[in-house]
Amino acid sequence: MIRTGREGNELDTGGLPAYGQQQSAEQAPALQITGLRKAFNTTVAVDDVQLVVPRGSFFGLVGPNGAGKTTSLSMAVGLLRPDAGTVRIFGVDVWESPERAKALVGVLPDGMALPERLTGRELLTYTGLLRGLDQATVAARAAELLGVLELVDAERTLVIDYSAGMRKKIGLATALLHAPKLLVLDEPFEAVDPVSASTIRTILQRFVASGGAVVLSSHVMELVEKLCDHVAVITRGRVVASGPVEQVRGGQSLEQAFVHLVGGRTGGGEGLSWLAS
Amino acid sequence: MVGVLIRMKLRVLSHSLGGARAASFAFGALVGLAAGGVSLFLVMLGYQNGVSIGTTVASVMMLLWTIGWLIGPIIMGGGDETLRPENFALLPLSPTKLAFGLLGASLAGVPPVATVIAFLGLVVGALWLGALPAIVAVVTAVLALALTVLLSRVVVGALGAVLGSRRGKDLGVLLAALAGLSYLPLRYAGEALAPVILQNNPVLGGTLRWLPTGWAPAAVEGAATGNWLAVIGAVLALAAADGLLLLAYSRLLVLRLTTPQTNVGPAKAGRVKASGRSLLPATPVGAVIGKELRLWWRDARRRAMLLTSVLIGLFIPVFSSAGGRGALVMLPFAGLWVVGFSMLQVSNLYGFDGTSVWHTIVTPGAARADVRGRQWAWGLIVGPIAIVAGLVLPGVAGSWWAYPWVLGVLPAMLGGGAGFMLLLSVYWAFPMPVQRGSNPFNQGNRPGCSRGLVRLLSMLFLLVIALPSLILLIVGQIAHNPVLSWIAVPVGLATGGFAAWWLGRLAERRLLARGPELLAQVKAAG
Repeated sequence: MIRTGREGNELDTGGLPAYGQQQSAEQAPALQITGLRKAFNTTVAVDDVQLVVPRGSFFGLVGPNGAGKTTSLSMAVGLLRPDAGTVRIFGVDVWESPERAKALVGVLPDGMALPERLTGRELLTYTGLLRGLDQATVAARAAELLGVLELVDAERTLVIDYSAGMRKKIGLATALLHAPKLLVLDEPFEAVDPVSASTIRTILQRFVASGGAVVLSSHVMELVEKLCDHVAVITRGRVVASGPVEQVRGGQSLEQAFVHLVGGRTGGGEGLSWLAS
Repeated sequence: MVGVLIRMKLRVLSHSLGGARAASFAFGALVGLAAGGVSLFLVMLGYQNGVSIGTTVASVMMLLWTIGWLIGPIIMGGGDETLRPENFALLPLSPTKLAFGLLGASLAGVPPVATVIAFLGLVVGALWLGALPAIVAVVTAVLALALTVLLSRVVVGALGAVLGSRRGKDLGVLLAALAGLSYLPLRYAGEALAPVILQNNPVLGGTLRWLPTGWAPAAVEGAATGNWLAVIGAVLALAAADGLLLLAYSRLLVLRLTTPQTNVGPAKAGRVKASGRSLLPATPVGAVIGKELRLWWRDARRRAMLLTSVLIGLFIPVFSSAGGRGALVMLPFAGLWVVGFSMLQVSNLYGFDGTSVWHTIVTPGAARADVRGRQWAWGLIVGPIAIVAGLVLPGVAGSWWAYPWVLGVLPAMLGGGAGFMLLLSVYWAFPMPVQRGSNPFNQGNRPGCSRGLVRLLSMLFLLVIALPSLILLIVGQIAHNPVLSWIAVPVGLATGGFAAWWLGRLAERRLLARGPELLAQVKAAG
């Protein structure tokens, strides 16, 4: 297995990497977003976003609420049509050859329904067969995923009755089922209890260690700092910093760097004199 | 307290009304107020024909309005939930005070105003009978109004408590669908009872007066005829009933605010290995068929839709045959009605499933499997019912002549329905209300008048798709040529098959090309 992570890092140095030149499929980054833009009516949600996710990297996308994280990721996986810009997954354009691109990526969107009235195993079987896997493979992988994600006890529970954490886990299982090379996960740790979070973390780390790339969005800085080797900060629809975690935080904690980058001011110090008087 | 709540409710109402919703709200308000006016007029007319008739008519009207207050919320979407008790759970208020406040706020709105107008009939009618009956009428009308509103609140609240869990919600959806169907038998009951009421049947009149909804008119009658025992008894009984209901309502509020509305025990999915599944091929299309069949069975909204369309399709011919007219013409064609109705109901398949269409979009090659699988699943459910009805009912009705007609048109409609349904679902999707944590009775609908347009289009389409068979059948009938009539059957099969294939392909292409737009369309606004 050729580890291409090093090369990816070099692409990142010096802020935005060189675009334009067509990389050959062997060295194209796992995910490359160029000039992505999306406006809803007059609100510009995503404004000229550039991102490069190197192969084999664990990439965190952070930003305040409403910064455009979910919008960007939705456009990156083909769930939302961009107004402008291109998205390439391992060099394959998502919007020009969606069939090839979508075979390479596993997706966990945030706040979207699954086929709710199936059990976990039924959902995985359905997903696998829909992906064109054969029945024996689907059955074996589904059993293994349910076991690792500790969803076997809930064998006969419908997804609609799952807790938030279980939903994230079964969503992750559907994303992993076809053995993708890139995982795009929107808020995979939101509302997940610490034990399940640790399970998910271990699975993702193993996935990266075996050569896969992960992109996840979050607004928990400690988590991104601990888990990811690359990070991009997005605010008001623009990427304001991107690169290896060390480089982006520049000697401070990621949280300090983040507050500084998004131009935030930690409020709460003034007024309210009547409180607890 | 009541004043604050009323202001709050009016503010929420004015925020939630905009554009098309305001228009439909205004229309509903007009209809409601007109109904109140008609009811008032009828009661006045009754009193002009004598105290006894007037009392009976007033009792009937109050009973009808109370029934409306009970059934209306179930059909229309859970009653008035503009102000939810949960919003006030953390305020230091006693349950009785909160019940009073919410009750007062619930009187601000169109249905209560329409009901007040209707109940005014009693007061206006009593004016003819003298001053004392009029005073009694004012007091009892207020008490009766409180009774109606409280009864509705308590019954709907109790149902809501029972139906609070997800399982219960599924039951509620079915209940609402059946309540919506109940107008058919109700109409026949009304037609049978109306003459009896006009004849002033003493037994019926007595029953109506003894019902709580008849106490107010009975008190007015007592005041007019000098039967003061009846007046005092009725007023006291009304007041006691109001008090009890208020108590029950505040108890229900406490219950609602202190018990979580979730499932305690995990719901079971039934047998782990569904027997039908193993029969399906292990291909993408087979997977979608399996998923769809499960969802048709497990999703209460879908099940209710199919169930009602099958019931309506079968009942309309049966009821009209009970009515005597056109029985022999209608009954053999029940199978066609079933197909027609279930297609009309099922024109928003992607809306049913909400945002889960993302799953189809990110899976390469899934669009084709999804469209075809949905077509097959619908056909596998509706087809057998319609085919059995089409094979059995003409024989049962003794109309052997109807066989080529039914069997020639049915396959064309089935295939056409399976195609057009998907086309509508893909091109004209709309969001359904989110099922988790939302009102069990709220089913959602196409916005504005597009619903009617879609129905019209669907019916036109079914007619067009059946045309080749119909032409053959008509020509065969005129020429007395049974061979020509029977050729309609293979022609129907061919048109149906072609329509399902071709329209399905259009839907498939659209889903492939405009998947993200479809996802945005079915995403519920809030």
